[in-house]
Amino acid sequence: MSEMNNDFSKSKAFLIDMTKCTGCRGCQVACKQWNQLDAEKTTFFTGEGYQNPPLMSEHTFTRIKFRDYQKNGQNEFAFYKEMCMHCNDPACASVCPVGAFVKTKEGPVTYDAERCIGCRFCMVACPFGVPKYEWSKAFPLVKKCTGCYSRILDGKKPACATTCPSAITYGERGEMIKEANRRIGARPEKYLKKLYGEEEAGGTSVIYLTALPFDELGFKHVTKRPLPSYTWQALRLVPGIFLTVGGSLSLLSWFTHRKERLKKEAEQREASDNTPKEES
Amino acid sequence: MKNSDAILAIGCNPAENHPISFKWIEAAIDNGGKLLAVDPRFTRTASKADHYAQIRPGTDIAYLGGMINYALEHNMIHEEYVREYTNASFIVNEKFDFEEGLFCAFDDQEKTYDPKAWAYEVEGSGLPQRDKSLKDPRCVYQQMKKHFSRYTIDMVCSITGTKKEDYLAVAKAFCATGRPDKAGTVLYAMGITQSTHGTQNVRAVAMLQMLLGNIGIAGGGVNALRGESNVQGSTDYGLLFHILPGYLKSPEFDNVDLKSYLEKWTPKTKDPKSANWWGNTPKYTVSLMKAWYGDNATAENDFCYDYLPKRSGNYSFMKLMEKMGKGELEGLVCMGQNPAVGGPDSLKTREALGKLDWLVTVDLWETETSIFWKRPGVNPKDIQTEVFMLPAASSVEKEGSISNSGRWAQWRYKAVEPLGEAKSDLWIIDKFAKSLKKAYQKGGVFPEPITKLAWNYGNHEEPDVHLVAKEINGYFTRDMTIVDKDKTLEFKKGDQVPMFKYLQDDGSTVSGCWIYCGSYTKEGNQMARRDATDSPNNLGMFPKWSWCWPVNRRIIYNRASVDLDGNPFNPKRAVIAWDALEKKWKGDVPDGPWPPMRNDKEGKYPFIMVPEGLGRLYALDLKDGPFPEHYEPIESPAKNLLSRVQSSPAVKVPANMSSDTTKYPYVGTTYRMTEHWQAGAMTRSIPWLVELVPTMFVEISETLGRAKGINNGDQVRITTERGSIQAQALVTSRLKPFDVQGKMVEQVGLPWHFGYAGLATGDSGNVLTPSVGCANTSIPEFKAFLCNIEKGGKRA
Amino acid sequence: MTAARIIIKEIKGYHNFVKFLIVLVALGALASMVRFVFGLGVTTNLNDTFPWGLWISFDVVTAVPLAAGAFTLGAIVHCFHIKKLEPLVRPAIVTGFLGYSLVCVGLLLDLGQPQRGWHTMVYWNPHSPMFEVSMCIMAYTTVLFLEFLSPVCEKFGYHVPLRLLRTIEMPLVIAAAAISTLHQSSLGTFFLIAVDKLHPLWYNPLLPLLFWVSAMCAGISIITVEATMSHKWMGQPDESELLETLAKILPWVLMVYLTIRIFSLMALTQGLLWDRPGLTALFALEMVALIVPLVMLTSSKVRDHNKLRSTAAWLVIFGVIVNRFNVSMFGMMEKGTMYYPSFIESVVTIGVIAAHILFFVLIAKYFPIFEHHPETVDYTLPDNFKKTGKAHAVEAKLASEA
Repeated sequence: MSEMNNDFSKSKAFLIDMTKCTGCRGCQVACKQWNQLDAEKTTFFTGEGYQNPPLMSEHTFTRIKFRDYQKNGQNEFAFYKEMCMHCNDPACASVCPVGAFVKTKEGPVTYDAERCIGCRFCMVACPFGVPKYEWSKAFPLVKKCTGCYSRILDGKKPACATTCPSAITYGERGEMIKEANRRIGARPEKYLKKLYGEEEAGGTSVIYLTALPFDELGFKHVTKRPLPSYTWQALRLVPGIFLTVGGSLSLLSWFTHRKERLKKEAEQREASDNTPKEES
Repeated sequence: MKNSDAILAIGCNPAENHPISFKWIEAAIDNGGKLLAVDPRFTRTASKADHYAQIRPGTDIAYLGGMINYALEHNMIHEEYVREYTNASFIVNEKFDFEEGLFCAFDDQEKTYDPKAWAYEVEGSGLPQRDKSLKDPRCVYQQMKKHFSRYTIDMVCSITGTKKEDYLAVAKAFCATGRPDKAGTVLYAMGITQSTHGTQNVRAVAMLQMLLGNIGIAGGGVNALRGESNVQGSTDYGLLFHILPGYLKSPEFDNVDLKSYLEKWTPKTKDPKSANWWGNTPKYTVSLMKAWYGDNATAENDFCYDYLPKRSGNYSFMKLMEKMGKGELEGLVCMGQNPAVGGPDSLKTREALGKLDWLVTVDLWETETSIFWKRPGVNPKDIQTEVFMLPAASSVEKEGSISNSGRWAQWRYKAVEPLGEAKSDLWIIDKFAKSLKKAYQKGGVFPEPITKLAWNYGNHEEPDVHLVAKEINGYFTRDMTIVDKDKTLEFKKGDQVPMFKYLQDDGSTVSGCWIYCGSYTKEGNQMARRDATDSPNNLGMFPKWSWCWPVNRRIIYNRASVDLDGNPFNPKRAVIAWDALEKKWKGDVPDGPWPPMRNDKEGKYPFIMVPEGLGRLYALDLKDGPFPEHYEPIESPAKNLLSRVQSSPAVKVPANMSSDTTKYPYVGTTYRMTEHWQAGAMTRSIPWLVELVPTMFVEISETLGRAKGINNGDQVRITTERGSIQAQALVTSRLKPFDVQGKMVEQVGLPWHFGYAGLATGDSGNVLTPSVGCANTSIPEFKAFLCNIEKGGKRA
Repeated sequence: MTAARIIIKEIKGYHNFVKFLIVLVALGALASMVRFVFGLGVTTNLNDTFPWGLWISFDVVTAVPLAAGAFTLGAIVHCFHIKKLEPLVRPAIVTGFLGYSLVCVGLLLDLGQPQRGWHTMVYWNPHSPMFEVSMCIMAYTTVLFLEFLSPVCEKFGYHVPLRLLRTIEMPLVIAAAAISTLHQSSLGTFFLIAVDKLHPLWYNPLLPLLFWVSAMCAGISIITVEATMSHKWMGQPDESELLETLAKILPWVLMVYLTIRIFSLMALTQGLLWDRPGLTALFALEMVALIVPLVMLTSSKVRDHNKLRSTAAWLVIFGVIVNRFNVSMFGMMEKGTMYYPSFIESVVTIGVIAAHILFFVLIAKYFPIFEHHPETVDYTLPDNFKKTGKAHAVEAKLASEA
């Protein structure tokens, strides 16, 4: 899995230009409406600015994080859309023992609730902390952004992308990256010259443009290698190890028991030698 | 807006309150345009702006006056435009004067001006005298220059509290659009209208834009970001107290008959080059009367003019609440309105509601107004008002049109059936009218205005909104032959009128609202068109998407976008262009089909809706002055630096106001959020929105937080002379104190969406606001008052 | 007497400590029922920030290496042919079998959809270390079960199965060692994917190797401790001589572990190591708990002294437990976040530990675990399945000692 040379340029991806995002939360509400998710109980804002709810959860698949601070005497009021990155080589798909996650060819990483045994390894593995759990239920399932897969199959765009007036563009990944670089080229003073999601986790289907440095805006630092490759470098040795350990122990046993075996054979021979003498 | 080189957002917050519009603002930014945000707070709009300038609430005229002065001093104005298309060259009569904060002819007792004293100097022909060199000291240009010479950068910055470098950055960037090939637009909203000098605020914007030549061009304009999706529609159809549909004036008590009404309100001009389009008032008035009274309206009975109510004063919202509070109103119908939260001085309003005999509220949810009688702290047994609540259908549950900030009337189909017993407003009004007609058949005081109404909207349970729309567009009441230049047109009785220039004053046409004439023609419902092809000039006009008034002209006053010969000032963004060979205009619907102004015989001035035909840098018909002048808001922490007159002299001040800064040391202002809407009736009962903004809160600066020991999330109590509320505090660096004449004055920002009804409740911001309003429009001064804030307070 | 009466009479005769264990196990069972009725969200302190808690950290990631004595000793005795240590094998297998069975119980409790546990047998994802571990554990528990069957068959005199088991003993031992190597190391592989989450003090590419070696250290130590205690508290034979020999092997394995550990820490980690004082303290604890016994066990005085040898073994066990908790819980805690187990989680885990001890004691009481000496067992098939005189004698001996 980690040696994928699959071409993801034609699968669908999001281009989210955080410099155009006004933090209106239209995406948050559209997602809740499309997926019929519950609203969380809040009593005040949770975080900087008008941020709500405090975290993504089984009821919240996407969330705008606010940053409200001052930098060099200037106000920064900035926004970051947290969501499933729909990685090209997803960590969740690689660790799930029953293969409940699938990176579809259309782009979204989907979750098959029927297969899930609830081991929650996907939650541990995802470097972006995306999968959430239905802690409120007695028989919980994993909850995360579906990439609006059914809408994609119907030729539509995801709910958040449809609602957003300015920041989200949706299309083929190759095109999105091209457009992102075009924007950087057209307004170099406006953008950070890096795209988040282009190489993170080996490449994802959510590409971000920002003006502020990634860590200031709240992006997690994530390795550029596909996550499954870390596991695979150990797991691929499994058959080899099994055979090596089994083989060498067998060999060892054969040798160590040899002495005893030879001794036993000698004893037996002696015994059979002796007996006839007694009889005669 | 995508064509703007500079967008000045003053007194508005498009990113938060007009998020869809922001798509086009960002398109402008992508094309190299600059967004300039002028706001007391660093809002989500400011976060996207190239420059942000902090402004103290209520000091917009100082701010804009400073920009006017800046443009004049640095010669950044569009000279040809100013000279040819505005009344800059008009000579003002000798008596006109301005001294120490007052214009001439002010009556201290009545607190009114006599506008006759401001008239133009008229020459023999009856036309105003003009000096096209703009050098005459009595010409409007020089008077204006003199007036605004007092608005130096230092002066305005000490009034507004803006940092000088921020002010200059904005002024420079925006005034640079004075170049003929540059376009600047000013976006504004309640931030500048909700003031005792709100009208003058907008006047200052209009003046600035005319000086910079930004009216009538692509990416220019004075653009109100309307506060509701269809408030443009509501004003178009005359829902304000002082107008009839199509912005005709509502008759006053001294307009005794149609003739005197038309005499008073039809403007006249002697200038053949002025189109003076309001000169057509008689045609539109008569067509309106024909729509309302049908065949009952004839020339003999003044087209039923006598049936129109005659206004004897100011029936603005605040006046109604005042009357109600005195027990002078028997009943009140609130359709989609929530005075208990949306109007100023909420406590008084809620008290006043209890003086009614009956109240009808029409809304989707129970509002604070509909349950005023069981609000916290009140015993329902003490209230004698009979309250009816009629459930209303939402916008997706009925068919009709919505007119946006660009005057586009977009027709919408009915998507779902209303829930339960909810009905569309049309059904409700239809039932009202029919029931009233029936009741009046049996007699009553002056029943004819109701019984004689023409009311033909179909025979089904739900009235046919298409019939309403068709009547609004208008049709011919008899066969007509009309000669239009070299064309002879034949119309049959019942044909839809294709455009308003064919409306007549003899009763042969019907039109429920003349500006919408052309919206529903024999080709069908133009408002329902959804062709997303842009015009060839690619300016974002989308001429086949819905229909806009007037006559689908997307940019009004577009004759000002070309020079005297009809060549666009900026060929790269040509709105219209005169084709000399074909002898017609290409591009957008021209604002008047006449040839360019150079043609002395047939050319007309671009500003066809004023009698001068030229843009009014000097405006004669406002109650508080021909030029905007900065005055402090009624409750202000500062002395007026510009003159001895502290606040607008033409405004009558009610009792419960206080400028005692020892009691109320902080500037209070109100605003809206993206996540909630208006008085919150429609949004505070939706869990997904409540999740985002669950409670009433106020925004204060970090310094104020420290001074009062208030941390983020603490309960606080805010008090004004009107009352006191409780909320949670959001402490942020986006609010900063204002440097007011050397002293740092803090501000308290309040959203006004909350009330005691609905899923998410909270105290109402408008409990604090003053019921004092603009001299011209009576719009309350919601945006600038004085308050105090303390930590603590128990939840009611 | 009915079966129930017999059981109750037996229980009444138990030592108070055993009775106490029964209570703890009962409480654990009760807590487990509460967990199944109300769900994980209500009964545990797990949440989206801490999807794995005490049950994974202890009942899986720690309990598995603690049960590693079975394969380690099996390999030492049967492959390396250090026959002297043979008496220690059976107890080790029982410990292993009980340990792995309780790991399975722990897993069923932790899974959100335990009724779907069988899905791993039908839906395969060979790229998942959890799939690998689940297959291995299922296989290995089966192996342990088969190995455990020997004393059972001996007790009840099932000769044919016994003979069968004897024949496959070697392959089982080798399979046990191979499978154990795989899943002991794969527990470490679990955390390889947490490259940006697990603190650099523990994250390095050799985690699987380290887990395998530390498992062997833990296994040997558990056997030492368990043999010492069964002699002290259960009147089982004194195997000090054997333990002294075992104690000679342990420091070598510890040395290998610490060498790889320190090497990987110095050469294979990236990022700040000492930026979190709490984690630094836990790291120090872990290291001290493993270095001290290493030093101690180099001295024959320690190796030959029951108490000191036992202490050294306890320290190793403690060190491995701390290490496993560091990797799976503490090292995964982002700065500023905290998890601690809930009451139910704790009662369940205590119940599991109590169950292990309880069942070990009971199995030792009723089955020939400690008495086993292979030479004395007659594996020949009786003629016509009639028991021979010799077999009778063995049986009688077994019965009298139970």
